[in-house]
Amino acid sequence: MARIQLNDVKKSYGDVNVLRDINLDIQDGEFIVLVGPSGCGKSTLLRMIAGLEPISGGDFMIDGERMNDVRPRDRDIAMVFQSYALYPHMDVARNMGFSMEIRGDAAEERKSKVAAAAETLGLSKLTNRLPKALSGGQRQRVAMGRAIIRDPRAFLFDEPLSNLDAALRVEMRLEIARLHQKLGATMIYVTHDQVEALTLADRIVVLEGGDIQQVGSPLELYERPANKFVAQFIGSPTMNVVPVEGGAGGITLAGSKLTLPHLGDTSAAVELGIRPEHIDVVAPDQGMLKAVADVVEHLGSDTNIYARVEGIGPMMVRVHGNIPARSGDLLGLNIQPLNAHIFAADGTALRRADAIAA
Amino acid sequence: MEGRAVIARATKTVVPRRPRARRSLYLQYLVEPFAYLSPAIVLIGTVILIPLIIGISYSFQSIELLRPFDSGWVGFENYAALWSDRKFWIALENTFFWTFWSVSLQFLLGLGLALLLNTQFFGKRLFQALVFLPWAVPTFLSALTWAWLFNPVIGPLPHWLADLGILSEPYNILGDPELAIWGPIMANIWFGVPFFAITLLAALQSIPGELYEAAEIDGASAWQTFSKITLPFLAPMIAITVMLRTIWIANFADLIFVMTGGGPANSTQILSTYIFTTAFRKLDFGYASTIAVALLLILLIYSLIVLWLRKKLIKI
Ligand SMILES: Nc1ncnc2c1ncn2[C@@H]1O[C@H](COP(=O)(O)OP(=O)(O)OP(=O)(O)O)[C@@H](O)[C@H]1O
Ligand SMILES: [Mg+2]
Repeated sequence: MARIQLNDVKKSYGDVNVLRDINLDIQDGEFIVLVGPSGCGKSTLLRMIAGLEPISGGDFMIDGERMNDVRPRDRDIAMVFQSYALYPHMDVARNMGFSMEIRGDAAEERKSKVAAAAETLGLSKLTNRLPKALSGGQRQRVAMGRAIIRDPRAFLFDEPLSNLDAALRVEMRLEIARLHQKLGATMIYVTHDQVEALTLADRIVVLEGGDIQQVGSPLELYERPANKFVAQFIGSPTMNVVPVEGGAGGITLAGSKLTLPHLGDTSAAVELGIRPEHIDVVAPDQGMLKAVADVVEHLGSDTNIYARVEGIGPMMVRVHGNIPARSGDLLGLNIQPLNAHIFAADGTALRRADAIAA
Repeated sequence: MEGRAVIARATKTVVPRRPRARRSLYLQYLVEPFAYLSPAIVLIGTVILIPLIIGISYSFQSIELLRPFDSGWVGFENYAALWSDRKFWIALENTFFWTFWSVSLQFLLGLGLALLLNTQFFGKRLFQALVFLPWAVPTFLSALTWAWLFNPVIGPLPHWLADLGILSEPYNILGDPELAIWGPIMANIWFGVPFFAITLLAALQSIPGELYEAAEIDGASAWQTFSKITLPFLAPMIAITVMLRTIWIANFADLIFVMTGGGPANSTQILSTYIFTTAFRKLDFGYASTIAVALLLILLIYSLIVLWLRKKLIKI
């Protein structure tokens, strides 16, 4: 259990600044997910917390204690690597109990703890096997077992599920969620997968270009993205962003006016962001926008329409359920004003009035 | 009608072919592979097996160039002579001594060097090139150079050893029956360390760095990391290189032959130099072959033990 704080933490390789002034306050028992495009420094940040990578500046604290220069083994943090990093010459039991072996714990204690962890992870029958005789999912579980046996203050995961197939990924995701509930330990989790991020996280940290773009609960990030990057990064399918003309009383989009009372003054607006699921399809002559369906995908639960909108260009629309649209159809589109996001020239989102009030 | 005729014709042609098909199967699986292998078999036969068989057959014959009319099969006479040959037993003991100390010191120093070269430090490339240099020097040349280094008139080593208190006065250890063998052993260490350094460095570099990170997070100290991660990974390479080098060094006569010629008083005579002098000085090929067969048997047993140990102990 640990509270982890990062105050202006920096990382640079020579004169390349990989991470700039990272500030994070992770509460005891919180599940934090780090997301961001490839190369944004997620792994680097995680490795800095683990102690595998020196910290170039700022303070890194665990439970109020400065840990910048403490060796990894004295930080009491466990890490699950993307490639698992199991010791290939040790069997599953020894792999899991390695930290206890290192500490010189009694063999019986080690055995019972390994057995308990193997039981939790469904590995009881495999404890005598070498890692090469395990499937990817089993290896992944051994890697987790190695972490939980130590009963550490915090867990770090670096894309632990990225080598697994889709079905196993879902299963292991649930496993990790269950583990977090059971242990109540602080966890920091790096992923590329939005679903993982949205389902597991208490709070998501969006990293980009060496800076934190936004920190917030999954819903917060979805409903109130701080800027265009977060808006487009979170949520699938991606949010539509189209140019608009700002105005004090509302915005003008393809010649028609849209009032957004909840956003107050919109004169700084340059772009409008609207998620595909927040556009309503109506009869061709009734909508605020006129569009032609280019491609229609029927997914069963949803229908995706890739539309060409008159005066704007391509937009994606997602309608819940099945609608009898076909490609080439003329459609009318209505943007749900309460779900619209407005971005200023620098990409920051105009704050919603209710957010300011809250 | 047309269709039926075709079927009839087909069965007619298929049925008689059956036995031939079976014969060709037999040919295909039993004879054909050897036909493809024949170049390799012929090569191995002419280059390895035939000389080996001829060599072994020599050990049962009397072949002395100085007594050409006495040649002929003598049964186990050479082996009986070997058993009661005091010089053979001395040479055998020296072979063990020479091989054991050469291999173990080469290995330990080579391992140390490989671990050092696996880290980053200033001037590493130059150092690396220098370390591998001895391997490129002809043995004959290095043997002569070392012999000179041990000579108190022109070489510094006796004086250094005396200054360090290892020798009571600066004399030539190559002339001292008690110490002479250490001369060629030192030259051999100098010569053979690069081999271990290169091979072990290659093995070290193939260990995934993540394992060290995982071990570090698991709390392993430097020594624990070395003994529990590095060594097990190096073990297969260590087993194979130690085996190869042992065989090699037990057979390695050049250094001793040039530096001491087996003397003084046979104190540096090892089996391979003994074989060499018996064959090419005394021109007794029969007896030389007998010693060689004895050496072959010893090395064979040694290799089998090493391979068995390797299989038993190494899991990767
Ligand atoms: N030794 C190094 N020297 C210079 N730059 C480095 C070094 N190591 C990493 N980087 C840079 O740091 C940045 C962050 O790398 P990092 O591995 O943390 O990315 P990531 O967010 O984990 O990406 P991915 O999602 O692809 O795993 C990258 O742009 C990378 O090029
Ligand atoms: Mg990464």
